Formats: sequence, C-alpha cells, structure tokens
Amino acid sequence: MVLCTPIRAYGDILEARKQGRALASELGFSSIDCTLVVTAISELARNIVLYAGEGEIRLSRERHLGANGITITACDHGPGIRDLRNALQEGGSTLRGLGLGLPGVRRIMDEFDIQSRPTRGTTVTVKKWKAT
Amino acid sequence: MEGDVATFETGILADEFGREYAGALERYLAAGGEAPLLAAYELGRQGLTGGGGVLQIVGLHHLALARLFATGEEEPQSAARAISRAGEFCAESMSTFEMTLRAIGETNIALRKLNDTLEEEVQRIALALHDDAGQLMVAVHLALDDAVRGLPADVQGRICGVKALLGLVEERIRDLSHELRPAMLDHLGLVPAVEFLAANVGQRAGLNITVTSTLKDMLPPKFALSLYRIIQEALANVRRHAHASRVQIQLGKRGTLMRCVISDDGIGFDPVVTAKTARPGLGLVGIRERLNTLGGKLRIQSGKGRGTKLEITAPFVQVKHADSNPPRRRPSRSA
Repeated sequence: MVLCTPIRAYGDILEARKQGRALASELGFSSIDCTLVVTAISELARNIVLYAGEGEIRLSRERHLGANGITITACDHGPGIRDLRNALQEGGSTLRGLGLGLPGVRRIMDEFDIQSRPTRGTTVTVKKWKAT
Repeated sequence: MEGDVATFETGILADEFGREYAGALERYLAAGGEAPLLAAYELGRQGLTGGGGVLQIVGLHHLALARLFATGEEEPQSAARAISRAGEFCAESMSTFEMTLRAIGETNIALRKLNDTLEEEVQRIALALHDDAGQLMVAVHLALDDAVRGLPADVQGRICGVKALLGLVEERIRDLSHELRPAMLDHLGLVPAVEFLAANVGQRAGLNITVTSTLKDMLPPKFALSLYRIIQEALANVRRHAHASRVQIQLGKRGTLMRCVISDDGIGFDPVVTAKTARPGLGLVGIRERLNTLGGKLRIQSGKGRGTKLEITAPFVQVKHADSNPPRRRPSRSA
C-alpha cells in the first residue's frame, strides 16, 4: 500500500506530515522517531516546493527480516540537481551549513538514496526502521 | 527578582516569534492536530536559521506553557496530560536542531580521522627522510671518496669542504626527521623529546627556548604524542607571529592534571579583538581540537606588547571519546 500526497504548495506539507505521522505511529514508532519521520517529510517536501515547484511524497511500509520500517519517496520532475555531490555536502549553502536539507535528512534516517538527472527531475528515497 | 522574570517574560513573549510559538502551543493543547506541530517545526527551523539558540526556544516554551497554566484552572490529571502533549510540541520545534547536532558530531569524527591521517602522513615523511635520504647521503659520501682518490691535494681539500657541508645537510635532515616523528618520545618520554624540539626550533628561528619540567612519570604514548604536537604547534605560532626572543616551556603535574605553560616575550595580541575580527588562527584551532580529544583545556593570556602565555591542562586519565552513535541500518540477520 502506497500513500501518495501531491505537493504543489507549501501548505501541502501538512497533509504529507499527517499521513507520515499516522503511518509511523501505526507501525509502533516511538514519539521521537515519529517526529524525525515527519521532519524528514517536511524537509523533502520543502525542497520540492522550493526547487521543483511540484511533485509528490509517497509513503509505504517496509518489512525486512521481521522488522518494520517506513519508506518515504520524494519525487519531482523539476530541473534536477546538477551537482549531486555538492548538494549532499555541508557548507554549500547557509542552510546546509547548519545540517538541514538533504544532508540533514540523510542523518535522521537509516537509509538514503537519491536519483537525479538534469531537466528530468529528482527522486529521494529514505527509510527509517522501527527501533527494536 | 520577580521583576526581572516578568520583564524577561514579556520581552520574549512579546515579539512576533514568541507570540506565534505561544499561539501554536495553545492551539495544540486545545485541539491537537498536525497544523500546530507543523508550526512548531517551522518556528524551530526559523529559530535555527535566524541564529537563535536552543536555550531561547526552550525558555520560550516553558514561559508560554507557564502562562497557559496561570490562566487556566486545570485539574492535576489534565495538567499532566497537557504537559506531556506540550512535550510533543517542544520536540517538534527541536527537530531541526537535532539535524544540526548530528552534523556537528559527524564533522568532529571526520576531523579526528583527518588528524589520524595527517599523523600517519607525517610519520611516513619522517621515515622517508630518515631512511631514504639518509642512505642516499651515505652513497654520496662514498662516491665522493671514490672520486677524489688520486686527485691533487688542493682538489681533495675542496671536496673535503663539500663533504663537511654535506654532513651538515645530513644532520639537518636527521633532526627534522626526529622532530617530525620523535622516536625518543617512545623511548625516553616527553621531556627529552620537547628539549630536543626546543633546541632545534631555537637554533633555526634564533629563539632562546628553555624547558623546565617537574614531570617524573612516563606518559601514555598517545597522550605524550598529542602534547608534543601541541607544543610543536605553539612554537610554530611563536615563530610565525610573536617576534619573540625568549620562550619558556614548563611541564608539570597539578593533581590529576598535566599542566604545560608556554610563554613568550613577543608582541602579544588582543585575544578579544582577534577572536572577533581575525580569521581564527589555524594554530590555535589545531591546539584546541587536539585538547578536545584529550579532554583538556587551553587558556590564553596575552595583550598588545605583553607577550603571550598559553596554559594547557589535560587530565592524565584520558577521557574516552564515544566516537558516534552509528545510525541504525537495515536490520541484519545476526541481529
């Protein structure tokens, strides 16, 4: 089952957060991990609004070797990221200097993957596993 | 006192940020829902990017909460519930700070690894200087001996002069190698190694460097090496910036602390101005970073025209550094 929230404006972040929190708490995530999940959703959705204009946030549950997890996929068909390495490094911009944005999301999640092609768009996939 | 608290409270809650925070918290306690939590995340993010601090937001949170309670007539049970829900709200506002904190942790680990890499590199260079260059020098000596055989006495005399110069080069290279990776640190301990360093640096830079010590114990090797590097860095700073003629290095023990004082009679600097305006001297940053890994402290006393005194203290018992909380990964079969 995949929950899909279109992101067209900043206000749409709210809906994605609702879905994310509901799913995370349904899977038994601690309240801190729920907070981290919705924070990741917010940062990713914010990037969509900021850099691509529109896109979507997809949420799905994961099971691996008896563990429960949540996958967040942020997908857009925007301009893409020309320099991925730079986008994932600190200090490229003030915000990233503070560890926010993509590097920040990478740190609060357990798994992180990014695919991006100039003019074709960007897909960020992150996972968080329930602490055992 | 009460007046102070009241002023602080009206100050912090009166600005727009404070009002928004208090408003969102009130909405969350009244009706719950995701919208006020989104506001909390946004406000925390704004606070962070606007240069605000954690303490400011936590302070704001508690004042806002206290104000809500002061006006309401809560039953103890519902009060407990409200406080716990307020905690959720507060956590939401702190989530961006959590990202920053993790970034700093990662940076520290990277710095430490870089430091280890540099240390390995220095040892490699020291070894290459000592062994490779040393052997080449021996070969040059032998070749020269071979070449002068049968030559007129005056040519032999001149070559002898060249050999004497070569001898000096050899000595300089050996000293440099020992300075870079002082084997005597392992064999004889910190004090002889620092004396050797002081003699060499003093000779090169025209400085009168004295070393006094009341240390008796052998220090753990890593600890001694860190202190050696710190003193090396401090002497490099003196050479580069201080225009000093005399330097004193005092090594000693104070209780459970190792104490090292390095003072010079140079031009000094204004620590306050330097901290605010100048690019922080890489030397001091390096010293601080090394001290951090030892759990030590650096105190700087200086002033224009008053020389500079660095006081370094570090506990003999080393503080173990928790390297990191490695992020949880995909659960493995063995787990």
